[in-house]
Amino acid sequence: MSASGSTASGSGPSPAPGSGSPGRGGPGIDRGAVLLVTLGVGLALLASRWLMAQVPRWLPPQASTAAPLVDDLFALEVGIGCFLLLGCTAVIAWTLLFDRADKYDRDDGEPIEGNLKLEITWTVIPLVVVLLLAAQAIRVNGQLASLGGKVRVAGAAEALRLVGVDGVAGFPGPTSVQSSHSSQSSQPSAAQASRASRSMSSTGPSPGVGDPAAELGPVVVIARQWSWEFVYPDGVRSAELHLPVNRPVRFRLVSLDVLHAMSIPAFRLRQDVVPGSVIDYRLTPSREGRYRLRDSLFSGAYFASNQTDVVVESAEAFERWRQAARRSPLAPSPNAATELWSQRQERGNRGWATVPPAPPPLVNVPLDPEAAHEG
Amino acid sequence: MADSLFSTPAALDPTAGPQGSGAAGSPEQGPGHGSGEHAHGGYNLTGFVIFLASESLIFAALFAAYIVLKGSAPLWLPAGVEGLEVREPLINTIVLVSSSGVAWLAERALHRRQLVRFRLWWLLTMAMGTWFVVGQAREWLGLPFGLGDGVFGACFYLLTGFHGLHVITGVLLMALMLWRSFRPGNYDGGEAGVTSVGLFWHFVDVIWIVLFALLYLWQGR
Amino acid sequence: MTTTPIPFDPRTLRAPHPVPGAPDNWRRFFTFNTDAKVIGIQYIALALLFLLVGGLLAMIMRGELITPPADLVDPSVYNGLYTMHGTVMLFLFLFPILNGFNNLLIPPMIGAPDMAFPRLNALAFWMFPVFGVVLMASFLVPGGPASSGWWAYPPLSTQNPLGLLINGQFLWILAVAISGVSSILGAVNFCTTIIRMRAPGMGWFRMPIFCWTALAAQTIQLAGLPVLTAGAVMLLFDLSFGTSFFQPEGGGDPMLYQHFFWFYSHPAVYVMVLPVFGFFSEIFPVYARKPLFGYHVVAIASFGIVFLSLIVWVHHMFTSGTPQWMRHVFMVTTMLIAVPTGIKVFAWLATLWRGKLWLTTAMLFAMGGVFNFIFAGITGIMLATVPVDVHVGNTYFVVGHFHTVIFSTITFGVYAAIYHWFAKFTGRMLYEGLGKVHFVLTFVGAQLNFLPMHWAGLMGMPRRVASYDPEFALANVLASLGAFLLGVAMIPFLLNLVSSWVRGARAPANPWQAIGLEWLLPSPPPAENFEHDVPTVISGPYGYGLGHPLVADQERYEARLKEG
Ligand code: HEA
Ligand code: HEA
Ligand code: CUA
Ligand SMILES: [Cu+2]
Repeated sequence: MSASGSTASGSGPSPAPGSGSPGRGGPGIDRGAVLLVTLGVGLALLASRWLMAQVPRWLPPQASTAAPLVDDLFALEVGIGCFLLLGCTAVIAWTLLFDRADKYDRDDGEPIEGNLKLEITWTVIPLVVVLLLAAQAIRVNGQLASLGGKVRVAGAAEALRLVGVDGVAGFPGPTSVQSSHSSQSSQPSAAQASRASRSMSSTGPSPGVGDPAAELGPVVVIARQWSWEFVYPDGVRSAELHLPVNRPVRFRLVSLDVLHAMSIPAFRLRQDVVPGSVIDYRLTPSREGRYRLRDSLFSGAYFASNQTDVVVESAEAFERWRQAARRSPLAPSPNAATELWSQRQERGNRGWATVPPAPPPLVNVPLDPEAAHEG
Repeated sequence: MADSLFSTPAALDPTAGPQGSGAAGSPEQGPGHGSGEHAHGGYNLTGFVIFLASESLIFAALFAAYIVLKGSAPLWLPAGVEGLEVREPLINTIVLVSSSGVAWLAERALHRRQLVRFRLWWLLTMAMGTWFVVGQAREWLGLPFGLGDGVFGACFYLLTGFHGLHVITGVLLMALMLWRSFRPGNYDGGEAGVTSVGLFWHFVDVIWIVLFALLYLWQGR
Repeated sequence: MTTTPIPFDPRTLRAPHPVPGAPDNWRRFFTFNTDAKVIGIQYIALALLFLLVGGLLAMIMRGELITPPADLVDPSVYNGLYTMHGTVMLFLFLFPILNGFNNLLIPPMIGAPDMAFPRLNALAFWMFPVFGVVLMASFLVPGGPASSGWWAYPPLSTQNPLGLLINGQFLWILAVAISGVSSILGAVNFCTTIIRMRAPGMGWFRMPIFCWTALAAQTIQLAGLPVLTAGAVMLLFDLSFGTSFFQPEGGGDPMLYQHFFWFYSHPAVYVMVLPVFGFFSEIFPVYARKPLFGYHVVAIASFGIVFLSLIVWVHHMFTSGTPQWMRHVFMVTTMLIAVPTGIKVFAWLATLWRGKLWLTTAMLFAMGGVFNFIFAGITGIMLATVPVDVHVGNTYFVVGHFHTVIFSTITFGVYAAIYHWFAKFTGRMLYEGLGKVHFVLTFVGAQLNFLPMHWAGLMGMPRRVASYDPEFALANVLASLGAFLLGVAMIPFLLNLVSSWVRGARAPANPWQAIGLEWLLPSPPPAENFEHDVPTVISGPYGYGLGHPLVADQERYEARLKEG
């Protein structure tokens, strides 16, 4: 609030002292005006404080380490914004109440053409405010450190090769022919892979899954029209994202067709999944629960139903889940887009043109469409 | 589409073009009205320069696309293509660039009211422009890759094609100016038309120099 | 001026602009007329028609969104609807209507008889119905209209499921391209006119702010549209001719398109808002009876905005994998826009301060618009903050932000301009009573419609969805009710426009006792404005209460109006 406090001198009802007093008392700064302005500023500050306190009520639960940082920054902006808006509104309201011409009064107002001091004030104050905000945002952004590097690839097949995933349902790429991800035969990607490890800060040859002290990952996130699939380093495939609480996790984001975005409002995090690039991303969940993971970058007809859940659970529960997953066979996950599409076919394929949905992902752990989510 | 843009002010507006008057210049209104900054004759060039400045940004954008893609694309030259042959395009380039000088000679002749000489130089400029277009077409026909062959193919054909369209437009505009030069009294009101087309031609040449450097000289990656 | 009927003069249609005293005939609005005032009205009328079309699409969308599941229309249809809603509103309503005001206002305000290139002007106008028809035709082609959003991001926009050459997306690109050409032609014309055709004595700093903002906005068009055109051409090639500029399989990069698109489409929002800043700057002095506060700074700030607008586009791509340093640079440049914009806002408030306010409908819309703009600007700053945008970007928070600008500020400003200048250019007064009903309904409807969207966005509701999770239901019900109220608000407005034009009271030359060259002309002004008797400007544009005349010989011009 310190920043917004300093705006008090320039943006509230304070054009008053510069261009005459707010009352009808004639020129000069009289005591009444000062008192009124101080009172107004005080009230505006109180109102801004109050509004800042409301911020958590507008937002989903804070389920990642990023959330409190983002929320505090947002609350700060709400406070400053509220103060500014109140200040400007006060001026508008004041003129509406006290500066209206009488019905038959056709005279002109006081011909004030400008006031240099005032103009400098209201140039400098917003400048300072936004620069401080930007500095704070850069700090927060540094703490989040969620976005890693990215590697350009020529299409989905190469992306899958790069992240070492094969056998993606119905995917016609050469990967489905290849035997396993340990194979060294993927020639064109050798150079890519070395570029990848340079820009993607790899954690060594065998990334941690079981070791709760190490970072989890990389979990490969495969987005397509319209499903999500998560492939863990030990080969477990899931249509829901399960994460142990308080353990950093690293993702590699791959799109097999068009642009998508992985958005988890409870985490306050969102990252586009870009075809032609493999993007490195990391975060740390901090609260157990089941939250929505949504596609948030328009991806075509069934975009709206392209959502799944993130389940954040204790380290033990996660380990149990993982072991169970390893034992369950691969099966197609229930998929909203596929269902909507088949309903559409039954109704005679009416509607506007769209590509058909990709086959539902083949996973060890299917999506539970009924489970209740928290945010 | 850029071409119709250019021809519009000259071709559609009889008061525009070499006759010079811009706005409300119906002859019956006569000169000497009291609008100070609102002088006749100069708007065409003003408008045209503004338009060219804007047009140059399309090329700037295409160049930027080329540079970015060339710098980052995981695939560049289509399979089996080594690079572009430079020799013939270089000759074309020399012809096109020197035509700018010839155009300048033509303009100078016109300025001195040497109408015949103007037409000859002007015709030569047109011929050199045509030579360039034909050369470009021949190159296109001989290339082992097409528009659909990766980003490189797409960029190559789009850039050269878009520039080629401008060359063709320039030649057509010069033809129009040539034709108009036979109208009696055509230059009484000034030479804004020829000046504009000349400007356009120099513009097209400068663009080509950049394009040539980008496409042919900067082939390594 | 036009009270005595004059026989039809066939030169009207062929001359660069109609000879003075041409018949006051409604048919001229359907011809290739080169009179800027006719063209201006053509633009505005057609644009308002498309406001209804875009609004109708919005009504259907809000009908779909009033309940969580996609029950009113198929999701694929919803996608086409919102894509076309955005496109129609921007390219067929907002840009054209502002060009209409450029045509109406610029020549009279600077004392020019017409635009610099009247035929080019008419040509630019007639492209508008052409691309309007092209875009509307895309509803009829197999597969339906474009449905990849108004961004048309590839590879989605190049998917072409039916494999036809002529498809909705193809027509969409075509329409946008024609619109771009038309806008460039317009921009060349407006800039040349303002630079070259000002009345004697009207130096840059005696020009009305509207002309400053129009020049600023058109500069953006000239700088940005070519880049969009380049992007659109590449997209068209990818869609129809199998190139791979943006297709990863051929080595292309979808991100490149995003840069092209936003390099123009971000500045484009200032193309839309700058003229409205101009409206506000014209309207406040008139109805507050005070000079515009800080005229010089307000004028120059327009170009500050132009400059900054060209270097902030990446704020639409904060999560596209844009490297951290780039996000930071663009966050700072974006936030800096608050400075020149703030200068303008504070100048307006100071203009109101201690004025003698006349609360006409125009004034109400202008004040309401500024209030909404401050709110929207603040949410804009929030979106510019990278960590906040990471949460709320691509949610309804953004939809709320930009409708608060684009509807609650810009469209408000357009309404204000209509109420302010209608009398001048039609010669008829609008009914103030209906105008105030229109204002109240619109103001309430807009808040009800767009405020809850911010809340939905904060909770995480993505934009562009036909169905959504039940926790967003309340916000959407409120928004839909607000939207329907906005639909109702159109009734008094349209009624007012039509009935006033047909049989409203005759307007005097200067009903608002306003200062400005356009108010020294009869209502409506004759075809060539001052013709060859252009006044010499001898003082700044907003001399309210200062007592000095605007032009030399002002009494003569005023006397002439009385006898007219
Ligand atoms: C049409 C007009 C218009 C205008 C004028 C603006 C103005 C601004 N916009 Fe907005 N914007 C849009 C239209 C507009 N926008 C549209 C259409 C989109 C979405 C497009 C799409 O995705 O489909 C969008 C989206 C958009 C985004 C992207 C969000 C996302 O997709 O994730 C961002 C992010 O930075 C942004 C920021 C801003 C900012 C900082 C301003 C600034 O110019 C605001 C400046 C004004 C003020 C700040 C208020 C007045 C100033 C003061 C009172 C001074 C004091 C203030 C402070 C100290 C803060 N806008
Ligand atoms: C000038 C620009 C403009 C304007 C004025 C509006 C006005 C409105 N917009 Fe729009 N909107 C956009 C530009 C605009 N919009 C853009 C660019 C997008 C983004 C698209 C994209 O994501 O790609 C968007 C997206 C958008 C969405 C989000 C869609 C989504 O993401 O899923 C919504 C949802 O509510 C919406 C609603 C509205 C409403 C209710 C109005 C109301 O203000 C409309 C008020 C109604 C009227 C003014 C007319 C009422 C008419 C009638 C009642 C019928 C009469 C009809 C006839 C006789 C033909 N708009
Ligand atoms: Cu007549 Cu200019
Ligand atoms: Cu923007």
